[in-house]
Amino acid sequence: MGRIVLEQVTKSFGETQVIPPLDLTIEDGEFAVFVGPSGCGKSTLLRLIAGLEDTTSGKVLIDDEDMTSVSPSKRGLAMVFQSYALYPHMTVRKNIAFPMRMAGMSEEEQNKRIEAAAASLNLTDYLDRKPGQLSGGQRQRVAIGRAIVRDPSAFLFDEPLSNLDAALRVGMRLEITEMHERMQTTMIYVTHDQVEAMTMANKIVVLQAGVIEQVGSPLELYHKPRNKFVAGFIGSPKMNLIEGAEANKHGAETIGIRPEHVTASKTSGLWQGTVGVAEHLGSDTFVHVHGIEGCDPMTVRAAGDATFKHGEEIFLTPDETQLHKFDTAGLRIE
Amino acid sequence: MSNRTLPRLLQSPAVVLLLIWMLVPLSMTLYFSFIRYVLNNLRKPEWMTPALSNWRGFGNYEFVLKSKDFIFAIQNSLLIVCSILFLTVILGVLIAVLINKSFPGQGIVRVLLISPFFVMPAVNAVLWINMILDPVLGLQGIAVGSINDLVDGLRAAPGVGWFFSLWPELTPISFRATQTSAYAVIIMVTWQWTPFAILIFMTSLQSEDQQQKEAAILDGASTWSQFRFLTLPHLGRPIAIVVMIQAIFHLSLYAEIEIVSRGNGNKNLPYLIGEFANNNIGAASATGIFAVILANIVAIFLLRIVGKTLME
Repeated sequence: MGRIVLEQVTKSFGETQVIPPLDLTIEDGEFAVFVGPSGCGKSTLLRLIAGLEDTTSGKVLIDDEDMTSVSPSKRGLAMVFQSYALYPHMTVRKNIAFPMRMAGMSEEEQNKRIEAAAASLNLTDYLDRKPGQLSGGQRQRVAIGRAIVRDPSAFLFDEPLSNLDAALRVGMRLEITEMHERMQTTMIYVTHDQVEAMTMANKIVVLQAGVIEQVGSPLELYHKPRNKFVAGFIGSPKMNLIEGAEANKHGAETIGIRPEHVTASKTSGLWQGTVGVAEHLGSDTFVHVHGIEGCDPMTVRAAGDATFKHGEEIFLTPDETQLHKFDTAGLRIE
Repeated sequence: MSNRTLPRLLQSPAVVLLLIWMLVPLSMTLYFSFIRYVLNNLRKPEWMTPALSNWRGFGNYEFVLKSKDFIFAIQNSLLIVCSILFLTVILGVLIAVLINKSFPGQGIVRVLLISPFFVMPAVNAVLWINMILDPVLGLQGIAVGSINDLVDGLRAAPGVGWFFSLWPELTPISFRATQTSAYAVIIMVTWQWTPFAILIFMTSLQSEDQQQKEAAILDGASTWSQFRFLTLPHLGRPIAIVVMIQAIFHLSLYAEIEIVSRGNGNKNLPYLIGEFANNNIGAASATGIFAVILANIVAIFLLRIVGKTLME
């Protein structure tokens, strides 16, 4: 079990309030991702749940039990840190055994769990090495192993993949998602990378300046962003936001259209502009178009074999059904 | 000219200078240790100038080995060095961990804690033996005296007097005596060198990874377990450094021993060298060679022990 509820939780450091009153429920077995720009309070929120920071006011409930003032080790949560936080002078085996040793578990049970964790994380050959002799990905697996053996009610991940290179990050992303499918344990994952959020989460929590902007499944957020911030943050490349006359035509202050919902043509279309940079990815081409009123540059996705060149004329037609409209307060208009 | 010759050529003055710096005193000591060389001898004036014709072979070494103070000086050297190391490392770790937490007045406390290190050894010895450890005029004498006075007064008190009359009268310890002079040296040098240990441990503690500690907290480690399994191993290297440096320094203690008891009941090898050097340079040199050997043994031994227990 691992149902985590935050009730009117706030956090202040001295005079500055980093998290204004906040309510959030994470159901048992969910993979929740906290995502937002750096400094938005997502790590602080995770540390509040872990108990590494005290809440200024409000309640943290785990499985309907008030854990607000319970010590971190008694909350039954395991955490994986960005810097791995392995104990450098202990072997991998001892690192993984540490929480069980602290809990006074029998040697036999410890070894059983270590072997099982090592087998599932491909660490069996490295059990007698020290963390310093491992690669970044292996270290992160050891950190995950140390969390698994505790059999926690929820896993907390604090930007665990930020220190890895791009290729390894994709691999570890899959492994963690796979692990969640297998274990069906609650996981809370903090990241600033919206791709990680979209690919891994059942539930994404978008934060800005300590405030929850929207909570929902990845596709909900993609199709129905509640406001301009979420619209711009979720999706890659970013949604094009158009202001001015073009938006007013649709009865909105701002309209948004994603690059993948705009058709580019060399001959005719609704909007006319000039090609800036064209980024060829092979599967797609992202064209940055200048000269369109209210949005400069506008990013457009074209086919992989498109031949737009710098300085050429280009015509764009948006898919009207995929248009997002926002009012003066930046909120979505249905 | 090959591309390595020029750099070597440019390094050579420094290397040669360092070699001379080390080798000349060492080889002169070796040379003197194998000849008869005394400063004053009316019957054999030829021994008063160092010359190969005064060759004595291992005679000086035999003489030193058979002298009554030699074994005692080695034992006492080890007692003093090991005690000081033990006390400074333990006190250093405890105080460093204590003042690593933030509290008001932290800066002043740190400066005050470091200050004993800036006192000259001879001054340190004079202050301790005369003003603190002296059985009559020192702090010790005054403290013991006032406790005795207090107990004496309470003996006459109604009701509890019988209890205090069971108490013995305390006698202050004379730290210049044969049996205790080594302890006086240990106390004063520990006081002086604990700051050194604190300084090194404190800088090391500030580089300790806080996320590791947080991970340990979540893993259910108590404060003691965090200290035992994270902080202490983290301090392994600095402890080894403190032990090594102090071992070398304290094997050559001299001023404190001289001031506390003039070697009475408390000699180490340097002090023995000093005594021989009053006249017999040959024997003093032989003792010097023994001191070099002892220092190397201690250094290797300590490095092994400290390295094995703490660095793994």
